[in-house]
Amino acid sequence: MKRLQKIFEWLDQRLKIGAAVREAMYHRVPRSSGSWFYVFGSSAFLLLLLQVVTGILLALVYVPSASQAWNSLQVLNHDITLGWYLRAVHGWGSNFMVALVLIHMMQVFLFGAYKYPREFNWVTGVFLLLFTLGMAFTGQVLRFDQDAYWGLGIGASITGRVPLIGAPLVHLLLGGPIIASDTLSRFFDLHVFIIPALLLGLVGIHLLMVLKLGINEWPMPGRLVRRETYLKEYEDLVQRDGVPFVPDAIWKDMVFGAMILGSVLVCAAVFGPFGPRGVPDPTIIQAAPRPDFFFLWIFALLALLPPYMETPLILIGPIVVIALLLLVPFLSGEGEKSWRRRPVSVLTVLVVAVTLGALTRFGQEAPWSPVMNGWSGLPVPAQYLKGRSALQRQGAIVFQEKQCRNCHSLGGEGGKRGPALDSVATRLTPDELIRQVLQGGGNMPAYGHNLSPAEVTALVSFLDTLHPPGVRPARDFAEKGLPLLDTGHPAKH
Amino acid sequence: MTCWRRLPALLPALFLILAMAGCSSLPGRPGLGPEVQRPSDVMNFGVLYKQNCSGCHGPEGRGGPAFPLADPVYLSIVNDATLRTITAQGVPNSLMPAFARSAGGMLTDQQIDAIVEGMRKNWAKPGILAGVTPPPYSAPLGDPKRGTQVYQTFCQSCHGPGGKGGAKASSIVDGSYLGLVSDQELRTDVICGWPHLGAPDWRSDVPGHPMTAQEIADVVAYLAAQRPKFPGRPYPGQPSRRRK
Ligand code: HEC
Ligand code: HEC
Ligand code: HEC
Repeated sequence: MKRLQKIFEWLDQRLKIGAAVREAMYHRVPRSSGSWFYVFGSSAFLLLLLQVVTGILLALVYVPSASQAWNSLQVLNHDITLGWYLRAVHGWGSNFMVALVLIHMMQVFLFGAYKYPREFNWVTGVFLLLFTLGMAFTGQVLRFDQDAYWGLGIGASITGRVPLIGAPLVHLLLGGPIIASDTLSRFFDLHVFIIPALLLGLVGIHLLMVLKLGINEWPMPGRLVRRETYLKEYEDLVQRDGVPFVPDAIWKDMVFGAMILGSVLVCAAVFGPFGPRGVPDPTIIQAAPRPDFFFLWIFALLALLPPYMETPLILIGPIVVIALLLLVPFLSGEGEKSWRRRPVSVLTVLVVAVTLGALTRFGQEAPWSPVMNGWSGLPVPAQYLKGRSALQRQGAIVFQEKQCRNCHSLGGEGGKRGPALDSVATRLTPDELIRQVLQGGGNMPAYGHNLSPAEVTALVSFLDTLHPPGVRPARDFAEKGLPLLDTGHPAKH
Repeated sequence: MTCWRRLPALLPALFLILAMAGCSSLPGRPGLGPEVQRPSDVMNFGVLYKQNCSGCHGPEGRGGPAFPLADPVYLSIVNDATLRTITAQGVPNSLMPAFARSAGGMLTDQQIDAIVEGMRKNWAKPGILAGVTPPPYSAPLGDPKRGTQVYQTFCQSCHGPGGKGGAKASSIVDGSYLGLVSDQELRTDVICGWPHLGAPDWRSDVPGHPMTAQEIADVVAYLAAQRPKFPGRPYPGQPSRRRK
């Protein structure tokens, strides 16, 4: 022990960092801040370190070339002992990190921790979020599989819409007019050099500011922040009711960090690495590329936006959102910190969370994209063929052959672009069915010229059988003897 | 100082997880081969059949709206070349699409071979027709007039007078129906029946009295003769708008 101390002293005389380390370790923090709510930032940092370590190991094997990237992931997955696990930890680490950064940000926002004098903690934090998302996005591109192509395609088409300089920007982003080897080199550069350098540098500044300005105290409803008095009040609080950061506050960070780390390791072991999915080849039209989880909401948003809103929203939206985020501490730099007294803030967080959640859910289901091989790969449910005539069976074949199934589900299977047709006969009369099929409407193509009269007859005779047993199908007013069903779709004659 | 006492308890858990990572049976370990195969590399019959054929011919080759390919009687009558041609090129003027790339489909010739081979291996029962001389898979149409007689003898009991539908089976002379199926399909239906729907094969329309090859050709000609010139049109004479 003595000897160890000697070595430390020897080092410290020359390096002169002992004082700084000691200051960082033992600086006093408000007792109230040693709370379980204050652990997210530190574990995001922990995951950043994990990503650096696993990332360096992955880079030993990964080949950033369009022709070999995909194969080198196969090598990692199958030929190198625990190579797959390394990939899995890096992938899950990334997901956990994005989640933690978001949660950390939400907590900071709700606890008013961005207010005077910590405005720049928030501003650097916003950039840290952007860089983290940038890492997640560029990382997904490095997989260079179908999904990577999706991300790049969307990224390029967004960039291409920038007025005047769109085309050169795409060129810069992709390293050429198309997605090719140069594209991958660029994203490799971004993912392993440029963004990490910015990220680590900014994290340093962010942490330094946390140290120098002190951790935000637990917000008390009614205790307002005022520029003139806040610093003094904080100083008093720390003196009166403060504890040294080590060990009184840090142990919670460590326990939570260990839990997060454990979760990453378990998820990696149980769920494995992400992709690589199919080889990237734009000629494979059956491919259904999906972005990674944290970009699903963009996927959904782009699919749901009406075309005329796309360009303005895509170009202006991100600028407005980022500007708003950056302005938050300057718009409300003083005043109430407690979320109990800030209903608008709470509501904002809720609305944003619910919107993003709903869009993500939508993105997972992707109801707007047809099921490309539904027509040939999804059997007609057996109950819809029981006791049917030869003509109705042909109608079912027409339904499959004309790819209606790609947009319409039967028995829960099939596309979700159009409504499920399991009970369509209760909603539409045969005449209306014919009209819908021939003329289309809504988002449905008109089949008029692509169906022969025999096909229409067969199709409609099949569709007309699609009603729950015991429920009579919809009929015209003109037809006698059949009671009209209240289907909400009265026949329009 | 509570933390220092708790941490050691966590460490073993961490090591346990790491040790678990060492064993190859972890659920997360990716299986061999890429997660998503290039579609043209898929050679597994089950997958190929399911993705390309089950929509119409039913899961496992029966129970769909189109002919049940998994019928061993069918498979012992039809030869591989026919199966291959039909799968590759489809059946003209019917709802059976072409699957070969050369014909605008998505399957390679090797994949089509794999499907034909798979149907034989999985569904055929060699010897099921031992001691029986089955009628040939294909033959020219016979005489529709004689076919009327044959119809009354063999089919009317179920499909009703004139083929317009009876107690046990539906109409097979509906204009739209006939407009959508090929003559060969009608022939296949007569020879093989649809076992899962209770439609008999050529031997059991009248028990103990199998149809002769000539009778089959005649009854198919009879049905084909019922096909209207412009199927599905209420007013004969108007040309069909069908573009195929
Ligand atoms: C590209 C996707 C797409 C395809 C392919 C498609 N539909 Fe539709 N279909 C739709 C959409 C979307 C609607 C809803 C239209 C609306 O909102 O007015 C719809 C509506 C319908 C309706 C009315 C349902 C109701 O409950 O009101 C019927 C019937 C229908 N389609 C039948 C068909 C048939 C038969 C085919 C094949 C010949 C087919 N559809 C092919 C997208 C599609
Ligand atoms: C869109 C519906 C559809 C799909 C998908 C489909 N078929 Fe067919 N198939 C039909 C129809 C309808 C017929 C009857 C055609 C006729 O009238 O001759 C048929 C007939 C056939 C026949 C000939 C039966 C006979 O009479 O000898 C074979 C063999 C066949 N299909 C194989 C396949 C294979 C193999 C696949 C998958 C690669 C497939 N089909 C996919 C609709 C389909
Ligand atoms: C024992 C009763 C029975 C007899 C006899 C019978 N069939 Fe059928 N047939 C059926 C049944 C059952 C079906 C399927 C259900 C339906 O279409 O109603 C069917 C279906 C058919 C189909 C339609 C297959 C499709 O494409 O969907 C044709 C064509 C057919 N039979 C022709 C004939 C001919 C020709 C004969 C006489 C040589 C005949 N059947 C004798 C019971 C019979």
